[in-house]
Amino acid sequence: MKEAKKKKTPEISIGVSISALGAFSVYLITGLFLAVGFWVIHNIYFVDLISDPSLTLRLLWIIEFPIVVIIYSLLRRNPEKCSYFRAVGRSIVGLISGALINAFGAVSLGAPIGMQSLPRTIHWSFLMSVFTVVPATAVFGASWTDWHRVFASLKPTGNIEYMILIPAYGAIIGAWFGAWPMPLDWERPWQEWPVCVCYGAIGGCIVGQIVSLSLMILLRKHKNLKLA
Amino acid sequence: METYLNNKKLIALGFLLIHSIAILIFTRGFLLTRTELPFHSTCSDVSLSPCFASQHPNHDSSSGQSNQTQPKCWTKPVVDRVIIIVLDALRIDFVAPSVFFPEPKPWMDKLTILQKLAFANRSSAKIFKAFADPPTTSLQRLKGLTTGGLPTFIDVGNSFGAPAIVEDNFINQLVLNGKRLVMMGDDTWTQLFPNQFQKSYPFPSFNVKDLDTVDNGCIEHLFPTLYEDDWDVLIAHFLGVDHAGHIYGVDSSPMINKLEQYNSVLEKVINILESQAGPGGLHENTMLIVMGDHGQTLNGDHGGGTAEEVETTMFAMSTKKHTTLVPPEFDTSSCKQNTDGKQICISSIEQLDFAATLSALLGISFPFGSIGHINPELYALGSSSWNLDDSGLGNFGTQSAAKEWMKHFVNVLCVNAWQVKRYIDVYSNSSVVGFSSDDMSRISDLYSAAEQNWSNSVKHILMDKNGDEGSTDISALLKEQIAAYLNFFSSVVELARSKWTEFNLNLMITGFGILVISLILQFLAVFHGDKSYAVGSWLSTGAAFSLFIVTIRACSFLSNSYILEEGKVANFLLATTGLIKLRYSVMRKTMRKEAFIFLAMVSVLRVSIDIGLTKQAATSQFMSSSPSWMLGIAPDHPALTYAVEIAPILSVVILICVLYIAISKAPSEGLWKYVTIGSMVSYFFIALLWASESKIFGLDGLLQVTGGRNRIPQTVYVIGLVQLCLLASTRMFCAGKDKNWAIRTVALVSACSSPVVLMSGKQGSMLALAHLVAGYCIMRLEGVERRTQSDGQSKFSKLNPLCVVQWSLLSICMFFASGHWCAFDGLRYGAAFVGFDEFVLVRQAILLTIETFGFSIILSVFGLPLLVPIHSQTPQAHGEKRHQLFQMYMLFGVISATTVTATILCVTIQRRHLMVWGLFAPKFVFDVVGLILTDLLICLASAYYL
Repeated sequence: MKEAKKKKTPEISIGVSISALGAFSVYLITGLFLAVGFWVIHNIYFVDLISDPSLTLRLLWIIEFPIVVIIYSLLRRNPEKCSYFRAVGRSIVGLISGALINAFGAVSLGAPIGMQSLPRTIHWSFLMSVFTVVPATAVFGASWTDWHRVFASLKPTGNIEYMILIPAYGAIIGAWFGAWPMPLDWERPWQEWPVCVCYGAIGGCIVGQIVSLSLMILLRKHKNLKLA
Repeated sequence: METYLNNKKLIALGFLLIHSIAILIFTRGFLLTRTELPFHSTCSDVSLSPCFASQHPNHDSSSGQSNQTQPKCWTKPVVDRVIIIVLDALRIDFVAPSVFFPEPKPWMDKLTILQKLAFANRSSAKIFKAFADPPTTSLQRLKGLTTGGLPTFIDVGNSFGAPAIVEDNFINQLVLNGKRLVMMGDDTWTQLFPNQFQKSYPFPSFNVKDLDTVDNGCIEHLFPTLYEDDWDVLIAHFLGVDHAGHIYGVDSSPMINKLEQYNSVLEKVINILESQAGPGGLHENTMLIVMGDHGQTLNGDHGGGTAEEVETTMFAMSTKKHTTLVPPEFDTSSCKQNTDGKQICISSIEQLDFAATLSALLGISFPFGSIGHINPELYALGSSSWNLDDSGLGNFGTQSAAKEWMKHFVNVLCVNAWQVKRYIDVYSNSSVVGFSSDDMSRISDLYSAAEQNWSNSVKHILMDKNGDEGSTDISALLKEQIAAYLNFFSSVVELARSKWTEFNLNLMITGFGILVISLILQFLAVFHGDKSYAVGSWLSTGAAFSLFIVTIRACSFLSNSYILEEGKVANFLLATTGLIKLRYSVMRKTMRKEAFIFLAMVSVLRVSIDIGLTKQAATSQFMSSSPSWMLGIAPDHPALTYAVEIAPILSVVILICVLYIAISKAPSEGLWKYVTIGSMVSYFFIALLWASESKIFGLDGLLQVTGGRNRIPQTVYVIGLVQLCLLASTRMFCAGKDKNWAIRTVALVSACSSPVVLMSGKQGSMLALAHLVAGYCIMRLEGVERRTQSDGQSKFSKLNPLCVVQWSLLSICMFFASGHWCAFDGLRYGAAFVGFDEFVLVRQAILLTIETFGFSIILSVFGLPLLVPIHSQTPQAHGEKRHQLFQMYMLFGVISATTVTATILCVTIQRRHLMVWGLFAPKFVFDVVGLILTDLLICLASAYYL
């Protein structure tokens, strides 16, 4: 069954396909922009995640969001039916709804609520949304079957879906683990919400990208062997 | 199948027994208990002792003038004023010269002024090695120092909660005898003695990072006070060394700086004293004591009983010059040659003896519960000078002076021995866990032997005015008498120590081992008779994930931070399971609404847990409060007031509706329904009570009509009891007729819930509603992660561990959300008085237990059958379901037992931790009580349901 599906995928895939190298360059560009974001915040605004988390997070997602949208909208599904700008538009909707979902998850897991930490939670959710939901909305749009297949059933097909699924899950799991040091009484500034959760999410995202790259390479070899 | 299931009820009972035994054994090794006695010593008591009755004439003739000028209490005062400087966590090697240790270290020989004084020629100062008794935490040590006893973690007294000492103590005796006290430094003293100090300058002690506030405050007030004459006893408690140890460790430059600072402070103090020490001066007859309350390890930890922690030091100095008169037999000094080849000696003392010795020096009655004896060397530092003056040094010489001192000392020891014996007798008569009769008779023998000796010979010698003839004979007799008393004291102390202070590691490990074995057995019991499913369920993701969650939670107890925030951790894990369920429900395209509602309920609970945490932070010394959850709404906003008044009553109304729907839907009728209707009536009464208490409904007159505010709660309790009796009797006499769990569970849970809701107060009904909704969602989501719908249908009796884990986590969240935490100040004492005004121990204790564990254990255990999905009513499926229910109960028990085992392991590992008595031990007590209660209720529930 699985074999059959895999063999069929190249035919039914109607989107742009991407090689492992292409995926790597996408990761490199997004990662570069994240780094640029950190550099800008550090050298122009003279703050960092610890001293002013809400400003930092806001700048980070504002810098990161356009580049993610630009790149992933290029990889959108059904490019002939759906224009580039539509993809951009729907990813803005995705950004907001993704932020809502992330904020809901974070609050139920125990993120601080209240006026003081509200901006931090909001900007953290936007950043998480950029990592998790925005690429998927840019590519899938409102196609519920694709969402369901990729995110819920964990049955990605093709490199793009690997690129969407694995870093997103990586970011969520990383953020989950990132919350663990928060209650400890070390009294370090990075134990504040959402500093270590952010580090966890970014770390998890990077791990997810590495895993997805290696999966792409492995599966391609596998497929090549199969074809041969 | 039937007999097999009947045996299963015995399995639950068996685990209750095993757990009780394991916990009993562990507790006997870990938590040592002692009863606090409310008695106080008074000056007139001493006439009951055998020491003075014929003694007075002797004293009157030889030193009559002093007896008439100052009223004598138990002993003759020998010093006028005492300055006690406590340096917290002072290790012995901070004070004693480095030649006493294998190799010199950078932190040694920093308090040079003390060494210089102690080892000068003809000095009236001495360095002691002092032995503290564990637990070596400041609070317990101060208690021990002042009461002269051995405080344990649980000093069963009437001061549950407030730390103030109610036992008789040295400070209290000082006040009773009209001495004036001044205190500065660590605010623990003012917590222990709220009213005793005439003047006090307390400084907060809990901020460990702050090395200087307390010390600087002390120094600022110490020097001016030394020049004043409006006090008799001055206590200055410095904390810098303790804090420096906790933060930087012993081998660090802040520590050495602190010691150097102390050296200069002490030098200045001693200069002031010496400048005022002349005849008629302010400090003519003053004693300076510089002491540590306990030691510390090289990492700065203390609390336990290792040599580094219990060995502290005491420096004592009298402003009068004299030579030592202590006979060499009772000299405990150990001597070394220092680098100059000079002989230097340090003595040793038990901290236990501090209260008795100082009482004797100041001439006040000894604290009632003191079991220490008067240390000859410390006593001699003060009393030698007095004796020399008194008996005219010129004629007699040192030999005779020593004899004179011994006569005095043996007399004081006689009083001391009588007082200790009195305490031991009273204690073993009035305490629940007294001493064994063997021990008592051994001690009585020793005492009566010493007493015999006293009344036969020594008393006559003391009465004999011409004690010159046969002086060697007399001093030998005196020495024999002193030795007999000291022998008595040491056996008393040995007995008390073995009962009150030592961890028994063997018992602790045995208890832990039994618990681990029971855990394995219980685990096997879950899968017993379930071979075909066992493999399948073991490999399922749900089981693996459950195991992961339970393991994480168990491991989290190894850190004090996670114990403090246990509610948040449980909530985090519960929300995680909720998210996993949400993913599966999206994947299966069913029950998405339930998954979302479950997460929403978890969010509601977490807000409630946050509110509870802020309450905890207000009293806890380990937590800082974080008001970040506060919403920006003014607390007295009218809309908010209305909401606060109406929401609980609305929730009660909703609960009544839910019960109505439950019984109207149920197919069978009979008693269960009537019981449930009883609960609805109870709920109605609760709503009525709350409505009449609030102002907005205008029902104030209602309370008068019903006859006081206690009538309604009492009615609710009575209804609950009647319901339970009905349920039990129905179960006994009409067994096996009704196979429908749902209605039986509803009846039982509703019967239990109404008193719990009533006692929990207004939040109770809302929490009950949240519990109900979350439980319903867990039930609906049960099995959502199974592969297909049909798979779940056919094998419905396959155990799903994840939902039991969720239920268990939910119950833990309920504990914290209902405003409790694992500390004795987390008990809601007010709840015990809902419906009653006067205090009856047993009744109020039962109510408090029901309130504390009501949501988290009672309702959770009895409500567990609600998680069994109602798929089929066929009789043959009923057996399967009973089996599944049994497995669920066993699994619930395993989860509780796992966390308790983890707590016990953590307590065993951390028994020397700084917070062992503040944090780990209360957590242990709560967990253990919870586990026993869970086991008991599982027994009852399996008798009721299976």
